[in-house]
This record gives sequence, structure tokens and C-alpha cells, in this order.
Amino acid sequence: MKNKPNYFLLFSVGIISCIVVFMVNLSIGSVSIPVSEIGMSFFGNEFSRKSWEIIVFDYRIPKAFTAVLAGITLSVSGLQMQTFFRNPLAGPFVLGISSGAGLGVALLVMAGSAFGLSFFSGGFGLWAVVFAASIGAILVLLLMSLTAWRVKDSMTLLIVGLMFGSLAGAIVSVLSYFSDANQLKVYTVWSMGSLGSTHSGQLELFFFASILGIIPVLIFIKSYNAMLLGEAYAKSMGVNIHRLRWAMIISTGILAGSATAFCGPIAFIGIAVPHMARLIFKTGDHRILFPASALMGAIVLLMCDAISQIPGSAQTLPINAVTSLVGAPMVIWLILKRNFSKEF
Amino acid sequence: MGDRKIILKSNGLNLGYKKQGESIIIAEDIDFELKKGALTCLLGPNGVGKSTLIKTIMGQLPALQGSVILDDSPLGDYSLKELSKRIAVVLTDKVSLGNVTVYQLVSLGRIPHTTWLGSMSSMDHTKVEKAIEVTHISYLKDKVLSELSDGQLQKVMIARALAQDGEILILDEPTAHLDLINRFEIMHLLRKIAKEENKAVLVVTHDLEIAIDTADEFWLMQCGLPLECAAPEDLIVSGKINLLLPSGTLKFNPITGKIQDSTPYDYPIIQGDVKLTNWLKLIIRKNSLVFDEDLQVISILENPFLIKVKGEKKEQNYNSFKAFLEDLS
Repeated sequence: MKNKPNYFLLFSVGIISCIVVFMVNLSIGSVSIPVSEIGMSFFGNEFSRKSWEIIVFDYRIPKAFTAVLAGITLSVSGLQMQTFFRNPLAGPFVLGISSGAGLGVALLVMAGSAFGLSFFSGGFGLWAVVFAASIGAILVLLLMSLTAWRVKDSMTLLIVGLMFGSLAGAIVSVLSYFSDANQLKVYTVWSMGSLGSTHSGQLELFFFASILGIIPVLIFIKSYNAMLLGEAYAKSMGVNIHRLRWAMIISTGILAGSATAFCGPIAFIGIAVPHMARLIFKTGDHRILFPASALMGAIVLLMCDAISQIPGSAQTLPINAVTSLVGAPMVIWLILKRNFSKEF
Repeated sequence: MGDRKIILKSNGLNLGYKKQGESIIIAEDIDFELKKGALTCLLGPNGVGKSTLIKTIMGQLPALQGSVILDDSPLGDYSLKELSKRIAVVLTDKVSLGNVTVYQLVSLGRIPHTTWLGSMSSMDHTKVEKAIEVTHISYLKDKVLSELSDGQLQKVMIARALAQDGEILILDEPTAHLDLINRFEIMHLLRKIAKEENKAVLVVTHDLEIAIDTADEFWLMQCGLPLECAAPEDLIVSGKINLLLPSGTLKFNPITGKIQDSTPYDYPIIQGDVKLTNWLKLIIRKNSLVFDEDLQVISILENPFLIKVKGEKKEQNYNSFKAFLEDLS
């Protein structure tokens, strides 16, 4: 490295871009509201139209905050897994968390129709989806923990996680084969992901879960640096691999699990953002990489959300499709541009 | 000379691992003493349990019986964190990091000593600088790991272990995959570290000749035999060095310091300086050269170089081994 990047400058630019993207995100939508108006409203000025105030404060700000939280949680869990498994393609979903959540939601949709109940009306329905997704994610997580208890090798854990994911996916396929068009639509809409469905109380809970999930990362931040050299070296430097593995499972479970529960599966953020952070910040030091990934995750998801709004139109694209459209070429480009194995 | 204090020892150590409640013993009854200020080389064939032994010494694998004693207390009494301040390692695990500079990697060695956030004090930086200086890699300090050659990377890994600042340094085949010069350099560097930094350095190696040149003590490990600990010179003189060559077809030649085919060979009568005749014998043996019945003597001269093959009737002269070989085979 010829000259060390100026982290202070990079973080400053990052925070400013995050604020800018946040403001742009608020202004874009079916009703376009000028950024200047939104900016002034934060300093106590009235909106020139009353409806704008409702749109911004009741809909767009919660959604933008959801995007920020989801971006942070998914990127931080992605970085944890990539370092722990020493695998550049590891992401929060390789432990089967999103598939588990999907299975939970699919079961809810089926069970709901079997008992003649409609879970998808009113406030109760929204919580029911969150609840089902969380239960699904937690169940897969428990299975993974049991596996982690027995298996010593991290690579095996990764493969078992992928298999759990496939298994959950297969059960969802079977369920959708037997469900009717309406149920299928409900599930499909959920699986497209949405940042706009966090309602009163949910955003607070999501925020609380994110804080809770980040605590293990802060406790073990030094151990992640030691893990750069692999498990054996980390052990020789006094890192308790077992404890770190549990911290990683619990942290990613809470972070990715809550993001999936509140927003549905959102692809590629967890895989692509840590690589972007490494590329831009040019470091392997996790004390820099964790905050950098969190910041970039927030920016990227806010941008994806802005793209999904297609300014001026009433329709929005599913967020999962946008992140995939942005993320997949990004990962391909990264692979082609650099030797992927040397990213770490 | 640093003080040759014994820092690590064992007696009656049984090595192995537990599989489904059953202990699988790999090596039995191992006694050793590891001394500070000395370079110790652990030699033995593949699969004899060298890696198991160093894993046990590192505290990553519990002993099946007996114990390893570090400073009067068994290894099991130390926590991983305490051990990491005493023992540093260089392993065979591949390290492929692109975005990390040499300085950052060496700094990783300070992890056991820093606070939970891993911020380095000026003392930590001094130790890192010292480790970089001792291993002669100052010129690489700001390079990214992907730009290094294998030999440079190995020195960086040694510097990282040095920065960890334990009294014991364990290296698992640090010279494998390296070229000849780097093998010599690394082993001489390790000897220097043992002497000047007063560390107990234990190296697993297969480079017998370089090990003889550099080590203070050999630990020979052979299947079913007790660990043989002695100075390499003693092992050579007593012939015990041949424990490494159990098949019997190969033998350590105490004159040349090399491993050679031990089956007797019928050479013709050769005259000349030992320096030259040894090579002549080698080329004869290597190619199983056959001579005429009437051959009396082969003499070899250095200046000018000449091989004289004298028979009863004729005499042939060659000015190189190559010409000699081409004519006779």
C-alpha cells in the first residue's frame, strides 16, 4: 500500500453521502417532495403543503430508517460470516436464516388458510408475519447451534447451513404447490422484500434488535482481526474459537433474522457490501471494516430503495429485485476485477 | 550465550486424540526439555506424530497421559490467553490476505497484549518495529501481503510470532516450499533469534543438512521408539542419526554429512584428492558404469582437470566428467 487511506476523510465523505442519500430518498416517491422543503422542515419550518408533512413523517422517514437499519444489520452480519468462515461468498443467508424465515411465513400462510383465518388484515397480520419469520429464523438458528456444538470444523458448518437452507426452500416449494393463488401471492409478495411495512412499534423493536445484535461484534472485534490468519493462528493468539463461533451465530441470527423478519429477504447486501468496504477502505482491520460496512450498507440500501421508487410513478419495484440487480453484477465485477481470494 | 534455562519439559507424555470416547495413541512415553537460547529441531518421518506433539505443546490438544510443564505448572493450568503470551507459532496454514500490509500483519501478533479494542500502545509499536528489524524485513513494511514472495511471507510470519513476545517460538515446517537460499536464511535467522533474543525455538523440519548446520539440539521421532533428544553432532557420531532412515537402504555418511545409498558398491581403484574422488565415485555409482577387465586404476587430477583411466594396454584421458560418462556408457 503506497499511502494509507485517510479513514477520517473516507468516513466523513461516507456520513455526508449517507445524509444526502437519506434526504433524496425522502423526496422521491409517488409524490415528489423537494429536498429543500424536507431540509427546512427539520429546522422547524412548515411544509408548504400539509399532506407532505404526513407523507414524510408518517411514511417516508420510518421507511428510510428501516432501510438504514436493514443495510447496517445485513452488512455487519455478512462481514462477520466472511471473516469467520474465511470465505468471500459467505453471507448472512448461508446459515439458512432467510430460508428459515421464509419457511415460517409459508407455514403461517398455509396454517392461516387451513383454519380459515386471515392473518393479513389489520395490524395483527403485520405482526403475525414478523412473528412467523422470527420463529422460522430462530428454529434454523437453533438447529445450526446444535450442529455447531457437534461439528468442530467451520467449513462443515457452512455446508450444513447451505443444506438447511435448501431443505427449508424445498418445504416451501411443496407448500406452495398445495396452496391456492391467493396464499401464493401473499408469500411471493413477502419474499420480494419490503422496507415500507415496518409500522408503529416495529421500527423501535428493529432498532433495539440491531443494537442487541451488534454488542457481540463489539466484544469480539479484536478476535475477528485474529481470525484473518485462520482458526489455528487465532487460537495461538488466545482467541476462544468456541465462544467466537457462538457470538457469531447469535449476532448474525439476531441481525439478519430481524432484518428478514421486518423486511423480508433482501439479497446481496450481506455479500457485496463488505467487499465494497474492503475495496474502498483498503484494509483488513475490522475496527475500520465493521463501521465502514455498516455505513456503506445503509447508503447502498437507501440508494436501492430510491431506485425502486421509479420517481414520479405510483408503482414501486420489489426491493429484493433491485438489490439483486445491483448486487449480482457488483459481485461478478469484483470477481473479475480482482483475485477474489486476495480480498481478505 | 544466553542462559540455557529449561522452560518447557515433559515426562511420560502420551500423545493422541479421543474419538468417540476411545483414545487413539499416536506416540507414547515422550520426555523432552526445551531450553531458552537454543534452537531445537524436531525431525521424523511423515505421520509419526510431530504435528500432534507441537499441537500438544501449543496447548491446543490435551495430553492423553502425563503432562507438559511450562515453568513448573502443567500446560492445562494456563488459559489460552495466558499461553498466547508465552508461546507464539508459525504454522503451515496458508495465509492469503490481500489488503493487509506487512506492518499490520506483524501487529496482529500484539493481539494477546492489547486491550479489548486492540489499540496499540507505543510499547506495542516498539515491539512490532523490533520484530521487523530482527527479521530484516524493514524494506517490506508498507507492502501488501499479496506482493510478497513465499520466502518474504515466511519471514513476515516469523516477525509476527516474534511480536507476540513469548519466550517459546514453535515453527511447523517453516522452510517447506522455499528455495535453497531462503531455507538457509530462515534457519540461520531462527538460530540468531534463539541466541540474541534468548528464546526457546522449536522447529519441525525435514531439512536434515541445514538443521545439522544450525540446531543446538535434535529431537528425533520414530515410530514406536522413545523421543531421542541430543546434540546433532552426538547423534551423528553415535550413528543414532540413522534412526531417521529405518529402511536401511539409506545411511547418513558422517564424512560428507549427507544421506547416501548404504548398499556396498564395488568401485575400481581410484587415486586422487578426496574432494575429487568422491564425485567420481558418485558418477560411477549413479550410472552403474562398467569398466574393461584390464582396468588397473583411475586417477583424477585437479589442475588441469583430468580423469585418467589406465588399463593394461591402453590409457584414456578425459577433461570433464561429462566426456568420461559419454565414453563409458
